[in-house]
Parts: sequence; structure tokens; C-alpha cells
Amino acid sequence: MTADAILELRGVSKSFGEGERRVDAVKDVTLDIDRGELVSLVGPSGSGKSTLLAMVGGLLQPSAGAIVVDGEDITRHGTGARTRYRRDRVGFVFQGSNMVPFLTARENLLIVGEFGGADRAALRRRADELLEELGLGRVRDQLASQLSGGERQRVAIARALMRDPVLILVDEPTASLNTELGTRVVDALKQEIHGRSKACIMVTHDERMARRADRLIAFRDGKLLSADADRDAAL
Amino acid sequence: MLALREMRRRKVQFALVTGVVALVSFLIIMVTGLGLGLYERAGTALLSLNGDHLAYADNANISLIRSRLTDAQVRDIEANAGAEEATPIGYVAATVEYAPDENETAAVVGVIPDSFAVPSVVEGRPLASPTDILVDRSWSRLAGTEVGDVLPLPVGFDSREFTVVGIVDEGYFFFQPAVYVPLEAWQGIAYQGDPDQRPAASVVLLSGGDIVGDRGDGWEVVSKQAAFDNIEGVQAQQSTVNALRYMGLLIGAMVIGVFFYVITLQKVSLLGILKAIGASGLYLVGQGLLQVFVVSVIGTALAAGLALLLEATVLSSDTIPIAFTTGAIVTTAVSVLVAGLVGAALSVRQVAAIDPIVAMQQQ
Repeated sequence: MTADAILELRGVSKSFGEGERRVDAVKDVTLDIDRGELVSLVGPSGSGKSTLLAMVGGLLQPSAGAIVVDGEDITRHGTGARTRYRRDRVGFVFQGSNMVPFLTARENLLIVGEFGGADRAALRRRADELLEELGLGRVRDQLASQLSGGERQRVAIARALMRDPVLILVDEPTASLNTELGTRVVDALKQEIHGRSKACIMVTHDERMARRADRLIAFRDGKLLSADADRDAAL
Repeated sequence: MLALREMRRRKVQFALVTGVVALVSFLIIMVTGLGLGLYERAGTALLSLNGDHLAYADNANISLIRSRLTDAQVRDIEANAGAEEATPIGYVAATVEYAPDENETAAVVGVIPDSFAVPSVVEGRPLASPTDILVDRSWSRLAGTEVGDVLPLPVGFDSREFTVVGIVDEGYFFFQPAVYVPLEAWQGIAYQGDPDQRPAASVVLLSGGDIVGDRGDGWEVVSKQAAFDNIEGVQAQQSTVNALRYMGLLIGAMVIGVFFYVITLQKVSLLGILKAIGASGLYLVGQGLLQVFVVSVIGTALAAGLALLLEATVLSSDTIPIAFTTGAIVTTAVSVLVAGLVGAALSVRQVAAIDPIVAMQQQ
């Protein structure tokens, strides 16, 4: 554990099913991620990386182990506390189109204010700030369904940052984008993570994108293969 | 508000379901209005009689048409029924030729002038002479009769002329506009032959006293409401109308329920994402119910407007027995709203059960 760790995973495991049908999706993962660090998680489909992301995001309860986010053990949370955790402490960027299609780019950001526990006026200011920062000022009033893939992903990043979370979880952010757009999206993400001192896990299949992270972690059969800065070894 | 923005941006989808809800609500309002209209025509004149009870001949099976009381029975009821006041009333249906080759059936009610059974006159003067007649507004509208006109009423194969001395506002008796004549005149219209052998009245109107169920020699006392409910056909008619209303509400609940269930299924992944980024199940359910509420309110408001417009135009004549009251429209609107919310309960369960993980995998 490092002194500046925002995320601490301690012996985290997740299995599905019982008896002969039991599948161990994640096995005894221990990992720290620091403030201002973008970590990419790579591995083949079915290796357990999305399950790990879901557990860190409070969408799945681990079968064993502890997940501590900014000093808060989220594995002890009930349903309501997990909802509040997802709302206030974590920002999600999902694969593909994850916008509310009938809302504008700006409204997609402001939607998080409707879930409660926020100063609406402050959120409006923050939304405008983030849209400008991510180069989306021009399209702020366009419906999400009218935005390009790259614009949608940048809106998703902005939305993830709206409530000033400590942790950003990103699942295949460039899956539907060409290399140039994908690079711009990941760079924008990295800039925000560094600039705002957030921690971020980015799950990706795209080797080129994975290499742009500060640290690369390989995952196979539910196990962490490497958790160091040796990117070539991990890939 | 997410729910309202979705409705604004998906106008066609929501306009269509609002239109369907409006049509279903309109159908229910029309059926309710028809029920109310039929109810009024069945006997508002009976319900608005200025008394509490009616004494029938006990072999009449609480039928005003079949009930016949003798002089002796009327006197017996007046003396022994225990009411504070009592007055005999006669009823007979008669065809009135109000203009050459123009006739309509009226409910001819015989009352003793100056008795408490005589309705309030809204125009003209009360009954005084044996040839005076009071006509209801509904008759006045139907036949164009005014105070001072002369109406011929059939007496046997002949007819006797009555002078319209006043207009009353009592409504219908047995689906016919009510007209009021002195009881003696009624006896002549209802029964020809030897005056000593004919019935004195159909029933006796009683006021005051706790006397429902009292019986005497050949007579029995029932409440005014029981008398109304026993008017031939009223119960069956109202049951039919109510069955149609409930069917309409069921259809409304199903239409709203199925619509919201389908759009919920279409939005499973979106709702899952919203849950994943911090929306509670309660918030999402609230948004869905808000949409149901808005669709139902707009739908019923459109339906009420359409119904009132129709009442003022196409249905303004007395030919179709349809009547709207604010109470009936509000009751229908609330019923459709409740039916819609019940129908949407299926979607509520669906929304509450959405697992963000499963929903996100459906992207």
C-alpha cells in the first residue's frame, strides 16, 4: 500500500455459481492505485477484468476480500450506500453509446444532479466548465444522438467528472472509435486524471491505448499477471 | 426533470399514447354520461319529490305503474303510517298531441293542489283549477310549450284540454317528461268509468318519521330511493352502464400498462446505466410514474374537453339521454389516473428489478 493510494484491493475474489458450476471470475486480487494515476487493465475476453471493474464500481459484491476507496470499505455497504457511492465517489465511462439519447450534451452532464445530494447551481457551472475544457462547448446543446462517437465519449468523461469523484472507472472507451479519435479521448481522460488528481482504471483491449496509461496491469483467468510499470512484459 | 424532457423530445411516441388514453377516457366519460342521463330520465322527478317515503299497494311489487290505492287505503296510510305529512300521488303515461300530428308521451302526475307534493314553479303560477297543468322544462324544450298554451290530454277515447299555468324543473318520470295535474283530473285520465269504482291514487307520498318497512291493510312503505331503484329496468340499465365503465377502465389500465412496459423494455440498458451512475430505483420509478401521471391527466383533460364540446353541440338536444356533471368527469379522470398507475405497476417492478450489470451488458 502506498501513502497516496485512493483504491486498495485486498484479496478480492469473485465467483459465480455453486459446486461443479462454480466459476472463479476474479481470484485473490491485491492492488493499490494512487491519486493522479491512470491504470490500464488489459486481458482477453472473459479474463475477469470487467468483473473487477464492476466490483470496484459497487455494482457487484465480491465473494471475498476488501475494496477500500479513499478510506471507505465499500464491501460493507448496503444497497442505499452503494447507490450513493456510485453517485458521489465514482465516475463511470462505459463502452459505446452510454448517453441518454434524448438529452443534449449539457443535459447529460446535469442529469447526475437529479439523483440528489448536489448543489444544482454549482453543477451547472461545473458542466459548462467541463464541456469547455474537453472541447465540447460548440456541441453542448446538441442531442447526444447527434454527436459523433468521439464527442459522445468526451461527454461521458465529462459526466464521470461531474460530481468530483475520487475514482474514475472506464470500460473500453475507444471500442467504437478510430485510432486518432481513440487517442484523443484517452489523452483527454489522462489530462483530466492528472489535472484533477483522480485515480482511474481503464479496461481496454486496445494495446495502443493501454500503453498510453501510467501503469499497465495484465489480467488472465481472473488473476493479476503483472502490476508494475513494465508495459512490454505485461503485453 | 428527466421524465418530462423525454416526453418533450419523444413527442410522437407520447402523443400517440396520450391520444389512446384520451379516446379510452372519452369512451368512459361518454358511458358515464349515458348512465347519468339514463338515471336522470328514469325518475329525477320521483327523487325530487318533496317527501321521504312512498306507500305502495302491497301487491304492486314496488311498481308505480301497478300500484293502485283505494280511498280507504289512502286515508288509512295518512292516519296510520306514522309520517308527519302524507299526500296521495297518481301516475300514468299519456300521449299528448301538443300540435297537429305532433305527439309525445308524458308522465302525467296527479297531485293535490297546495299539497307538499306539488313541485316549485320556476315560471308561471301553481295549480289552482281542475284544468290547470304544470309542465317540466324538459317537456317545454321537447314540445315548445309555454305558459298559457293549451295541451289536450286523453280521457278515454276523448281528450280534455288543460292550460299550462307554470313550468317546473323536476325532470323525468319513467323516461318521460313529467307534467302535473290536479289529482282529480289525473283520476279521470288514468281510469275511466264509474268514479266510485276507480283507484284514488297510485301511491302516497310521506314525509318524516322512521317508517320504512311499515305495512298496513294492503299497503307497504318504502324509501324514496328504494322506490327509484325499483323503477322497471333501472337496476339492469345501471349495472350494464357500470360494467361498460369498468371494462373501459380495465382497457385504459392495460393500454397504459402495456405502453410503459414496452418502453421500459426498450430502455433497460439506459435505465441500467442511470442506475450505475447513481440513480436510485426510487428515482427511476418516480420518473416513470410521473410520465404515467402526465399522460393520464392530459388524456383525460382532452377527453373531458371533447365530451363537453360534444354535449354543447351534437348532444345538445334531448334525444340522447346523456348528462355530464363536474363530479362525473372528475371521478372518471381520477379513475383513469388510478387505472393507469395500476397498469404501470408492472413496469415499476421491472424498473426496480433492473440490474445495472445485466443492463450494461445489453448495450
